[in-house]
Amino acid sequence: MPVVELVAVTKAYEKKLAVDRLSLTIDAGQMFGLLGPNGAGKTSSIRMMMGITLPDSGQVNLFDKPFERRSLDRVGYLPEERGLYKKMKVLDQLIFFGQLRGLHAEEARKRSVEWSKRLEIADALDKKTEELSKGMQQKIQFIGSILHDPKLIVMDEPFSGLDPVNAVLLERTLLELKDKGRAILFSTHRMDQVEKLCDSICLINNGEAVLSGRMREIKNRYERNHVIVEFEGNPAFLASDQIAEAKNFSGHAEIRLKAHGDAQKLLHEASAVATIYRFELVEPSLEEIFIRTVGGGAHA
Amino acid sequence: MRNLLLVARREYLEQIRGRAFRLSTIGLPSLFVVIVAIAYASSLGLGMHKRLVIASPDPVIANQVRNQLVIGKRRDGAVTVVAPCPPDTRATLINEIRAKTIDGVLWIATPADSRPVVTYISNSAGDFITASRLNNAVNNGLVEAQLAGTGLDSAEARDLANGVSIQTYQVKQNGTIVKSNAEASFWKGYVMAFLLSLTTMIYGMNVARSIIQEKTSRIFEVMLATVKPTEMLAGKLIGVGAVGLTQIAIWLMAAMAIVGTPFASMMLTGQFSLHFSWFEGVLFPVYFVLGYLLYSSLFAGLAATCETEQELQMYMPLAAAPTWLSFALIILIMNDSNSFWSVASSLFPPTAPICMFLRMASETPPAWQFVVSIALLIVSIWATLWFSSRLYRIGILMYGKRATIPELFRWLRYS
Repeated sequence: MPVVELVAVTKAYEKKLAVDRLSLTIDAGQMFGLLGPNGAGKTSSIRMMMGITLPDSGQVNLFDKPFERRSLDRVGYLPEERGLYKKMKVLDQLIFFGQLRGLHAEEARKRSVEWSKRLEIADALDKKTEELSKGMQQKIQFIGSILHDPKLIVMDEPFSGLDPVNAVLLERTLLELKDKGRAILFSTHRMDQVEKLCDSICLINNGEAVLSGRMREIKNRYERNHVIVEFEGNPAFLASDQIAEAKNFSGHAEIRLKAHGDAQKLLHEASAVATIYRFELVEPSLEEIFIRTVGGGAHA
Repeated sequence: MRNLLLVARREYLEQIRGRAFRLSTIGLPSLFVVIVAIAYASSLGLGMHKRLVIASPDPVIANQVRNQLVIGKRRDGAVTVVAPCPPDTRATLINEIRAKTIDGVLWIATPADSRPVVTYISNSAGDFITASRLNNAVNNGLVEAQLAGTGLDSAEARDLANGVSIQTYQVKQNGTIVKSNAEASFWKGYVMAFLLSLTTMIYGMNVARSIIQEKTSRIFEVMLATVKPTEMLAGKLIGVGAVGLTQIAIWLMAAMAIVGTPFASMMLTGQFSLHFSWFEGVLFPVYFVLGYLLYSSLFAGLAATCETEQELQMYMPLAAAPTWLSFALIILIMNDSNSFWSVASSLFPPTAPICMFLRMASETPPAWQFVVSIALLIVSIWATLWFSSRLYRIGILMYGKRATIPELFRWLRYS
């Protein structure tokens, strides 16, 4: 049963077409990445999923039914433009969010304490929000969005503002939730995280889906013409005829071969002038696919 | 409905717990009492501290005028009589005014074949309070001097010169006749209208400020995933309105507790006694709630279109204009509470809450006028909410730039 289904959804603001006939499906237990450059229509699509705005045409289905506000009780949402009540104490705020999503105050309190321990911010519960750092506020917002144990978790740029340690903590938590069968959709600019976490992606540009499907299938569509070389010595081999483009980061080179470039010939040329520690033929990264699909003008 | 009540509860508790609520609950009435007390105390002594000289060739007239000035007053040492005085005294006294050794000279010339000519010379151009006191004193003093000149006993002459005061009575709708006091009625109406406008504006502004703060903190999108915009707006209006009612209830309870004290009995007896009926006690919260809902829904719509509190403050004087208009009508209403304009202003929704209370201070209006006034207020609240909720549901998600007028019309169309 699809948890979310957008069917040819279109949304325009005055003359600007924000989302153009977008269709996608997210199943239970799936981590889904919504990608696209700034202004591509990611947030507009998410807002329609959450009933904040209505599509001009097309259909939004949640839990296999046409959208209804009642369904939102089973959805956790962390928007890009997020905020908290600054003067309110953190625990009161979490209880309030829990109550809004149908929990009793006591249950909301219990879950708030449990989650805050798990995300290592139990000390912040008695503080006012304005006393917390941005990263801590981010974690509070995350707890607020999943307190009611939603079946679908929608997160717009969930990793922005988090330091690497907390980003890993959030990644682990999301993976645990996915393993419990929750459907998770998130939009991000961090391609490495999408690559690491997502089962499926949808890349949108100018409101249209330009690439979508399961991550493995998408990657298989692209030939393995990328080489990673770690070396010591003369980098002259980076000027080889086999290479279309090369980036050298002090002994770590990322190389794209020409259409008929030969990796074996390149290895010979490289080993002739340098000591090779690693020579790996890899598939293109998601970032590479993203740039190739959207073009160099994107500011993702 | 559950979410609406949760939003209302949050608004209520957050504001009640806030320092601003405690300060305004205690501070506002205290400040009001201090202002009234200072105004009253200064009115008692206005013009009394002046060092005046009464100069006249006729010592009888000069002394009668002086007596009028100092009758029943606490300070009399500052009024000096120079009489009889030669004509060149005038130049000397003007020099004293210039040197600020005296504040003014009341020069009473008494030409042989005509009425006395009175001149007041001072450093100040706008001292109308002293001028008014002098006018009364001169008129009464001259009458007293003339009556004394006819051989009348000086005490009788003074009584005649001072005139009589009119006792006023009011016929109530039930036919009873009660003693009334125009000045006390005026102050009662003024106090109630002032409190009504103050609380309405304060809490209307609180709603607007709360919306701006939520917009600035970007909480709206989190909330809108769970709560409908109309529920959020309604919850906010109910929560903040309940804070206002709580504050009024605290003030009423404090007032009732103070009624038994000697200070209150001093205020509630005598010429300036203020009596409030149960009817006024019931209508006050009713008009507060209606006035508050009208203004706060208007302010909410405005706030949703603004980016910052500073921007909001630019619109506030315009939105609050009907309140100032209500106060501008005070004299008109107190003079004739049943005139066309008095009735119209008490039915016109933006001015109705304040003007109705100003009218009630003089005379209780007919029941149908209360019904029409409240009905019109309810209809206009509905209309304002209709517009504001449309601006609100779009405006709260618009960040970064001030909305233009054409954009606002488009927002109304979107919804």
